[in-house]
Amino acid sequence: MLNFDYKIFFIFFLILFSKLLSQNQLKLQLDYANNLYNSGQYFDAITEYKRLQFFDSSKIFIYQSDYQIGLCYKAGGHFDNAVKYFSLAEMNSKTYQQKFDSKIQIIRTNILRRTTDRALQLLDSLDNSSYFETKKDTINYWRGWTYIFADDWKTAALFFDKIDAQHPLKKLCIKVENSKYSVTFAKVISYILPGAGQIYTGHLLSGFLSLGWNLLAGYWTINSFAANRIFDGFTAGTLVWLRFYRGNVQNAENFARERNIDISNKALHYLQTQYEGIKP
Amino acid sequence: MIHRSETLLSGLIRIDLLRRIVRLVKPIRSAELRRACSAESRREASHFVDCLQVRILFFFFLFTVEIFTQPGNSNLFSAGNRLKFGNYLFSQNDYLRAAEEYRAYLKVESDDTARFKLAESLLRIDRFTEAADHFKGVFFSRGLGDYARLEFYKALFLGGGYVRFRQTVNQENYMPDKFSTEVKRLGMISYFFDNSVLPDSSEMFHYFDDSVKIRIRKFYLMKKFPAYKNPLKAAILSAVIPGAGKIYTGEIGDGITAFAATGLLAFLAVDNFKAGHNFRGWLFGGLAAFFYAGNIYGSAASAQIYNAGIKFDFNREVKLYFEKRNYFLPSIDFLK
Repeated sequence: MLNFDYKIFFIFFLILFSKLLSQNQLKLQLDYANNLYNSGQYFDAITEYKRLQFFDSSKIFIYQSDYQIGLCYKAGGHFDNAVKYFSLAEMNSKTYQQKFDSKIQIIRTNILRRTTDRALQLLDSLDNSSYFETKKDTINYWRGWTYIFADDWKTAALFFDKIDAQHPLKKLCIKVENSKYSVTFAKVISYILPGAGQIYTGHLLSGFLSLGWNLLAGYWTINSFAANRIFDGFTAGTLVWLRFYRGNVQNAENFARERNIDISNKALHYLQTQYEGIKP
Repeated sequence: MIHRSETLLSGLIRIDLLRRIVRLVKPIRSAELRRACSAESRREASHFVDCLQVRILFFFFLFTVEIFTQPGNSNLFSAGNRLKFGNYLFSQNDYLRAAEEYRAYLKVESDDTARFKLAESLLRIDRFTEAADHFKGVFFSRGLGDYARLEFYKALFLGGGYVRFRQTVNQENYMPDKFSTEVKRLGMISYFFDNSVLPDSSEMFHYFDDSVKIRIRKFYLMKKFPAYKNPLKAAILSAVIPGAGKIYTGEIGDGITAFAATGLLAFLAVDNFKAGHNFRGWLFGGLAAFFYAGNIYGSAASAQIYNAGIKFDFNREVKLYFEKRNYFLPSIDFLK
């Protein structure tokens, strides 16, 4: 009887050992794929995560592998694929934390690919969920980033303010907002005094040239009418003066917009290269 | 599919293993029962019950372990596992990764199907030269030879060297017995994709079914007699009447504008000369001459742009038509 018991226990431990060993193989595979990911070899990392998924028939590592594949695609700039795999990770999540993490990654990817409406929609869904009451700061943080990428620095500052009145990103957003040029103001002053809009946006040469052309064309037009050369006056007025006048207003608007884009890009470059907090 | 069947097989093996263990334990239990009854001892009976409980607990534990642990994949990178994983990737249309798995598998095993799939994977990621080389390696396979030759020609065709492709077709060195018509038809289709002189229409239409002959005839006529506009004719028309060349090339709005602008500037020039304003006369005259010359050049350029558009539209239409029909090549069942 004792011999039989030993046999059974021997078989049992053999099976248990082999099973634990095979599970350990999958764990090793996960570690291997993680190493590839950490060393920036995203293509190979995806291959190894997919291999892990294929052989992990009990789907023990399905969440981790989907999540990591999403990260690889995101790092490689394949945002559509990244969203696909984060969505799969969300579906395979086992805890609310995992669900939250994968959803936040979907939002971050949407921020990067500038699908602002979708990012805000997902943030709203997290905001309205009772499971994530304690995550308000994180939600507001990514809401702020969404508005930064939508070039709405003023709204972004409001959401960073909800986290902390002294939040560094709030300060940056306010600074960017204050340093931007008013497109409407540039246009209005150009209507009143041609070239003033360009001068306001710092394009002095363009501003004075515009003023000069307008004065010249205006003189030519008025002079023609004064000399009773109506056809000449009409031609110069419509084809020359009006063209320079409209061009001056359009120029002022374009310069103001370009300046604002430059300011935003500089701020984004700072965030990308020097900001040490979490980025999308 | 393969993965599921393997899981099923693994499950069946485990069930069989459990059955064997139960069979091993059964005689123990009956022997113990007999002994317990014959001894009529309370102590032994109690011991027997304890043993039985331990065994039940043990089998319950074993069963749990069986359920919650992984099937044995002792080496995920073994040749067999690489092939399985490669097939899975192929079925997921992840051809680049599938090709790498097949390549690794073929380093240790010789397998025509795997080589064929490697070549097919390369073909589907537009690595045509490599694909053609690997298809060559399966030319003499008993079951796959004809398919490999067919796909070899397809790889040459898709590679874009149409003249070389037609030479290879005409030499018939690698012609598959089963698909010779398909390959020759592919040779005819290739004429639509380059600037070679088209073959005789009867030779061209011979390889196509009646159901598609009307469309092929249309392509043939479009290729042979393209509706091009003559740039010289457009330039001469614009020289005679400013803007007429543009109207000839289909740019009616531009033609009318060119006519009006040249006419207005010429009128202003004449009017100013008559009024004694020579400077303005020369200014408007110069502008009128500039517009006139520019319009002649623009008309010739417009004809060339029109012709490029005709060519582009034709190429796109032909490409889409044949691509959608897989160039009238048969689909290969085992790749589905």
